[in-house]
Amino acid sequence: MDMASILYLAVTFGLFVVFVLIVRNTYRRRNKDAKEAPKYRMMDDD
Amino acid sequence: MGKPQYHTDIVKSFVNWSLVWGVVAVLVGVIVSFQMINPDLNYPPYLTFGRLRPIHTNAGIYGWGVGTIFAMFIYMVQRLCKTPLWSLGLARFQLWLFNATIIAAAVTLLLGYNTTLEYHEMEWPIDLMIVVLWVAFSINIIMTIIKRKEEQMYISLWYMMAALIGVAILFTVNALAVPVSAFKSYSIFAGTNSANVQWWFGHNAVAMALTAPPLAMFYYFLPKSTGVPIYSHRLSIIAFWSLIFMYLWTGAHHLLWTPIPDWIQTLAMAFSIMLIAPSWGSVINGYMSMKGQWHQMRDNYLVKFLILGITFYGLQTLQGPMQAIRSFSAFIHYTDWVPGHIHMGTMGWVSLVSVAGIYFLLPRIYGREVYSIPLANLHFWLVVIGQLIWSTSMWIAGVLQAGMWNAMNADGSLTYTFTETMVEMYPYWWIRAIGGVIYLIGILVFIYNVYMTVQKGKEPAPKLLEVEGRA
Ligand code: HEM
Repeated sequence: MDMASILYLAVTFGLFVVFVLIVRNTYRRRNKDAKEAPKYRMMDDD
Repeated sequence: MGKPQYHTDIVKSFVNWSLVWGVVAVLVGVIVSFQMINPDLNYPPYLTFGRLRPIHTNAGIYGWGVGTIFAMFIYMVQRLCKTPLWSLGLARFQLWLFNATIIAAAVTLLLGYNTTLEYHEMEWPIDLMIVVLWVAFSINIIMTIIKRKEEQMYISLWYMMAALIGVAILFTVNALAVPVSAFKSYSIFAGTNSANVQWWFGHNAVAMALTAPPLAMFYYFLPKSTGVPIYSHRLSIIAFWSLIFMYLWTGAHHLLWTPIPDWIQTLAMAFSIMLIAPSWGSVINGYMSMKGQWHQMRDNYLVKFLILGITFYGLQTLQGPMQAIRSFSAFIHYTDWVPGHIHMGTMGWVSLVSVAGIYFLLPRIYGREVYSIPLANLHFWLVVIGQLIWSTSMWIAGVLQAGMWNAMNADGSLTYTFTETMVEMYPYWWIRAIGGVIYLIGILVFIYNVYMTVQKGKEPAPKLLEVEGRA
């Protein structure tokens, strides 16, 4: 594997870490109501 | 505070034009399917399979698909942001440029100008038109989102933004070319790089044009049609980010067993399999949203279109990863199996959800109830049956074709000549053409229903009028 391939995989891994942080933030218990609220508000968007 | 005055006339225009291009796409599709059965139906130089086929795919993806995206995004963004569209003038400009681009594309393709890049066949002047068109559209949607009255964004808005940014990047990179005359250019990429960039574009065009926008519509129109919110907004967010994270690496699954580096192929294969999770995140969210509402499959035609649509998406995203596995790809690649896959996505998933959106919009943009629900049901059955005949005939044909290509005699020579394998395909091509005709009849029923709604539909209930701020 050359440097370019290693860099490619490193970027992939970096994105994976970002993804893990998004999951953590979304499923935090104290964020539950805030994260679910848009689905109720969109029902009344007319 | 008064209700915001949403712009609906521009939505109406986009709906109408996308229907026009949708009919053209399906009609040309039916014509090319008969050309495959009977080569005498090719009329050189313009009306040959080679020239008509890209007109079919481009009218389908850019005319019908993107036209519907324009209509739906403009409709949804105003409501989800509780604010009128940022610029009506820009949207009107976009409408004209959209039609001019589609016409220019059709004419140049008929004349034989073709970059030979699949789904990116148009030459550089038309690429420039597409870039201006997309920038105008994106600015309008993003500015509307920026001045929104809602702080937290509903999941459809996320998918919409991903589509805007994704298509812009993919299209621009794949369009990089050196023009050598008014209608001829050469891509700046060559050899395996060219193939890699082309399929990075190709598969992510599937993601950003044929997956993200229909998901935005699905998440919007399903709860609106059932009257019940989606099952989990958090699940939809995770599915969104994982889809975005994974899709970008999968393009090389179109290039398995080719000279591109092996590790890129393996990465694409692994990410394609992982894609089952985010795809099914949305499918499960859709099914769970129907909890206690399954009776609506019987008495709400909109729900029928939407749930069948997401079911085809679910099947598509199981079949796709399977095709991305090296051993399976070695068998079905280059066979008629692949068009079977494509059309379950386009005629099934994308079109069913788009059509549900249009039915939903009709009373809200025209101020009239849908003319005939029995006709809407007839439309549903015709397109579902037409699509199933289309895809299953191609899957069977593909397996047969692959089997014949691979058959070997004891001495290692091939059992069948290529011509013999072609001859075996004729019955299946006939069945496909019949499936296409049934689908086209379904579309014509739909167009008639839309036309009659506009002409003779009843005034809708006061609630709908109020919605449009007309009461
Ligand atoms: C998990 C999701 C998906 C995966 C992993 C996937 C995988 C694949 C693979 C491996 C191929 C190449 C087949 C071959 O030529 O050997 C393919 C072709 C294709 N797929 Fe999918 N697919 C997925 C979902 C979809 C969806 C939702 C659509 C929407 C319509 C779609 C549309 C297409 C199209 C248009 C092609 C044909 C490209 C060509 O012209 O060669 N796919 N897909």
